[in-house]
Amino acid sequence: MPGKTIIEKILSVHSGEDAWAGDRVWADLDLAVVRDFGGPNVVLEYEKQMDDEPVWDPQKIAMTFDYQAPAKVVQVANNQRICREFAAKHGIPHVFDVNCGVGQHVLLEQGMILPGSVVIGTDSHMNLLGAVGSFSSGMGTTDVAAAWATGRLWFRVPESIKITFKGSYDYPASAKDLTLFLLSKIDTTKTIYKALEFYGEPIDGLSLAGRLTLASMVTEMEGKIGFIIPDEDMLSWTGERAGRKVDAVLPDRDASYWEEREFDIGGLEPLIACPDRPDNVKPVREVAGTHVDQVFVGSCTNGRFEDLRVAAKVLKKMGGKIAPQVRMIVTPATTEVAVEAVEAGLYETFIKAGAMVTNQGCALCTIGHHGVLAEGDVLVSTGNRNFRGKLGKGSEAYLASPAVAAATAVKGEIALPE
Amino acid sequence: MTDSFVFKGRAWVVGDDIDTDMIYHGSYLPLTDPQEMAKHALEYVPGMEDFTDRVQPGDILVAGRNFGSGSSREHAVITLQYNDVAAIVAESFSRIFYRNAVNLGFPILEVAGVTQAVETGDELEVDANTGRICNLTKGTEVQGTPLSGLEKEIMTAGGLFNFLKKDMQTAE
Repeated sequence: MPGKTIIEKILSVHSGEDAWAGDRVWADLDLAVVRDFGGPNVVLEYEKQMDDEPVWDPQKIAMTFDYQAPAKVVQVANNQRICREFAAKHGIPHVFDVNCGVGQHVLLEQGMILPGSVVIGTDSHMNLLGAVGSFSSGMGTTDVAAAWATGRLWFRVPESIKITFKGSYDYPASAKDLTLFLLSKIDTTKTIYKALEFYGEPIDGLSLAGRLTLASMVTEMEGKIGFIIPDEDMLSWTGERAGRKVDAVLPDRDASYWEEREFDIGGLEPLIACPDRPDNVKPVREVAGTHVDQVFVGSCTNGRFEDLRVAAKVLKKMGGKIAPQVRMIVTPATTEVAVEAVEAGLYETFIKAGAMVTNQGCALCTIGHHGVLAEGDVLVSTGNRNFRGKLGKGSEAYLASPAVAAATAVKGEIALPE
Repeated sequence: MTDSFVFKGRAWVVGDDIDTDMIYHGSYLPLTDPQEMAKHALEYVPGMEDFTDRVQPGDILVAGRNFGSGSSREHAVITLQYNDVAAIVAESFSRIFYRNAVNLGFPILEVAGVTQAVETGDELEVDANTGRICNLTKGTEVQGTPLSGLEKEIMTAGGLFNFLKKDMQTAE
């Protein structure tokens, strides 16, 4: 028998079965999360199926309101209320309301996400928690309602692809560019439902923010999960948050991979995903000069403190003012990030440059938030999706790093940081 | 839900990479009533803006690669289900959409080459048990991957909750 991959190990432990790629297993869950989008649908489905039956374990359910925070549409306000009332009725303590920020990031900061855990939630970017070695997966209403009832769900154990990076790169290239590089090279028709494992020196060197950036866009690679094995620093960070010692789940040396690939990212340059696909990636210099109406810095992909810090630094270095015809919106991922950014003086830099800093949340990754686009508008976003008309019919979006986004805001056209 | 998993209906053909915002746009996410969700099916797919006016009960949606990529929103399955679309046949599905369809007991089938073999308006017979698609209009056939295993059991039960309830009863 060969050894096991990370996903095979996690699902073996959680199912109590000898789980191999291709098997269907029923796995015990550590956490089942809803947002203010999807959440009310889960509550209604749960009540339709289970009436007043108590939930499986109130401690293992969480709610994070980040879709439209705070609500600007009465229907969303009602939906958030439906969730709060359900939580109160069932004694669910972990409700992270509209003042907390992006759900996955909040849960991580709260020490609720551990390496080797199985977490599900109504967000297609749940899997960004692979950044700390958790198997987290985005799911629909029915799955989460069933999880709240039983604490278990079915999984098809994914085949795994081992991806090793080599080479090194310098600023202004960043984890976002590494991620876009991979998206452009990997052929997403071959990564559907695969578990990715990331290795190599460029990965070892990534901070938590960089790890989150890469792991979050495994969704756009159509992968099920992307694992980065936590190093000592990451283990002590998650351990501190959780208030106990945590261990990494390592694959066996003789684990069997569906495919092993190596990418040389030596000399990586800033990249940008052009409309309307995240894998439509070009070097920034090739599209430099393209007119831009709005810039967004934030999201679960690039909304950490160091993302905001690099954006502020570029603004300052390039004259401190955004172009007059450009709208720039900056959104910290969480309260913790916001406080850190305020203390570091980043808010002042953004506001004086002419940018708007919004409260923490998902902000411009959906059309639910302020800052939606007009027909013909062009956006440069640090987010993860640029599907056609996502933020307004007839609008276009490009995806890039915080440094490129900030430089673009200053120039009013797609630009490299100076 | 028919036990036999055989569906006969008129085809609607769409292309590759139809994402969840095209199937069911993010602006309608606050909706919780399936009948309301049904009014917005495929609204952002170019050329399909009037789909909900023209779709007939029992019609079959035929799609290219990676159908349903993007969001976890189950609305994207429900909006088609509540337009009485009988089944979706695609070259491939995005993973969350596939799972949501299984959990809602909505028949979906992966069939390589299906978009080459079918045009909008063709009369199809889809046999999810064998994975065979007969194009009755053109007199041709394409072979796909038949439903099997746990996914088929859940679909046949009419979705995840029905399956779990059956399971719980058996356990008792």
